[in-house]
Amino acid sequence: MTGLGQQVDTFRHEALIYAGWPEFIAGTVPFILDGVRAGEPVLVVESVDKIQMLRSALGSDADSVVFGNMAEIGANPARIIPAWRDFVDRHGDTGKGLRGIGEPIWNGRTDDELVECQRHESLLNVAFGKGRPWWLLCPYDAAQLAPAVLDEARRSHEFVREGDVARESPAFRGIAASGARFDVSLQEAPARAVAVTFDALSLLKLRAGVSRYAIHAGMGTHAAAEFVTAVNEVATNSVVHGHGGGTLRIWRTESDVVCEIRDAGDYDHPLGDRCIPEADADPRGLWLANQLCDLVQVRSTGAGTTVRLHKQIDPRPRLRLLTDSEDSRRLQ
Amino acid sequence: MEVADEPDFWGAGGFFVDHLVAAYEADGAVYADKNLVVTLTHDPPGLRFAGEIDIANSTSVGKALQLTFPKTGDPHLDVSRLIFCDISGIRALVDSAHSLGDGRRLKLHGLPPQLQRVLDVTGWSGHPGLVLCDCDAGDR
Repeated sequence: MTGLGQQVDTFRHEALIYAGWPEFIAGTVPFILDGVRAGEPVLVVESVDKIQMLRSALGSDADSVVFGNMAEIGANPARIIPAWRDFVDRHGDTGKGLRGIGEPIWNGRTDDELVECQRHESLLNVAFGKGRPWWLLCPYDAAQLAPAVLDEARRSHEFVREGDVARESPAFRGIAASGARFDVSLQEAPARAVAVTFDALSLLKLRAGVSRYAIHAGMGTHAAAEFVTAVNEVATNSVVHGHGGGTLRIWRTESDVVCEIRDAGDYDHPLGDRCIPEADADPRGLWLANQLCDLVQVRSTGAGTTVRLHKQIDPRPRLRLLTDSEDSRRLQ
Repeated sequence: MEVADEPDFWGAGGFFVDHLVAAYEADGAVYADKNLVVTLTHDPPGLRFAGEIDIANSTSVGKALQLTFPKTGDPHLDVSRLIFCDISGIRALVDSAHSLGDGRRLKLHGLPPQLQRVLDVTGWSGHPGLVLCDCDAGDR
């Protein structure tokens, strides 16, 4: 058992199971304060209302904490690991600890988002499990979440804290299994989905078709162009790595346009879609898809690969907080 | 919610062919396929792109670029009519910028929003070999 004031000597991935706001405060504030008082960098990625609550509970100590909005950073859960990677790299290996709090799963995530968030929680073990020591606490609201979600948290976290007690989780699946092929199957594409096959020479017409479909569904032209760009890169992966082409299916739900691309190739890189590209030769297709889409689901069985891209038709009702600054950056 | 009338996915044929043929005939093309025409510009010295670059033509385009760049100075690329450019296309530009050597760079004119967005998202917008040109020439 590790006391809150202790520094960790490996990556410590710990779930905090709480019920209601008083337990949330009791579980997080001492963890934050111990870090602040030890001079450790602390990053808290939470909902806006929880950030407000933490700020008032922390008082002036809140000034030593960096806060991030999970609804923004984690709208697509595949963007969370790069954010933590940035935090960890930014502070280098100073000999000091690092602390983070991240709550990617809340009541209100769609079924598809929940599954991808659970995959994200496992992939944190792969991304950071063998790197520099730091401590990540992931709150789970037992009052709001289904028991099966808490069970999965016990499998994806090496430690589980309940009340004042943190214990090793006997159900933890381990680092190696955390990066195993993700085998939670996707729901079947609806029968009404439009299905077409493609190869390198039909990508131009494919882009035109996806653009027409998305705009007809009511997506704005800017969002549709982003979606087309993402679909094109995933289809290009099928051309290059999936025996020359594949099958595209496209349909709309009440909120999203969904595009699924299937090919006969193999893809077994658990972190491949969330590694920040640096060298010119680094792969960028799935990275780009994650930056331009609201959810990207990758499944590869060895007998074929399926990538499903989701883009909201109208992001406003869900308060996606995409800042203008992202769009206003210009090539220097 | 069902959509009663799905658009015909493939739509009608004939994309930018007329536009491309016009560009091809108007000037000496150094590269042309059915999706893209690249023509020489003289003031400033460089190339003008019209059409789309994707995995089907990016390798050929990259090779053509390296053969046609002026031997000195920074080539200017008018990309204002480059309707679409995928990652492989940008990689072809980045590679050809490297091949210039001597600190020479590609100067881009009229960057369309799609291309700007891809450069930003892929981390290539700060690439030392690609710069946005602020001179007026070539923006016509």
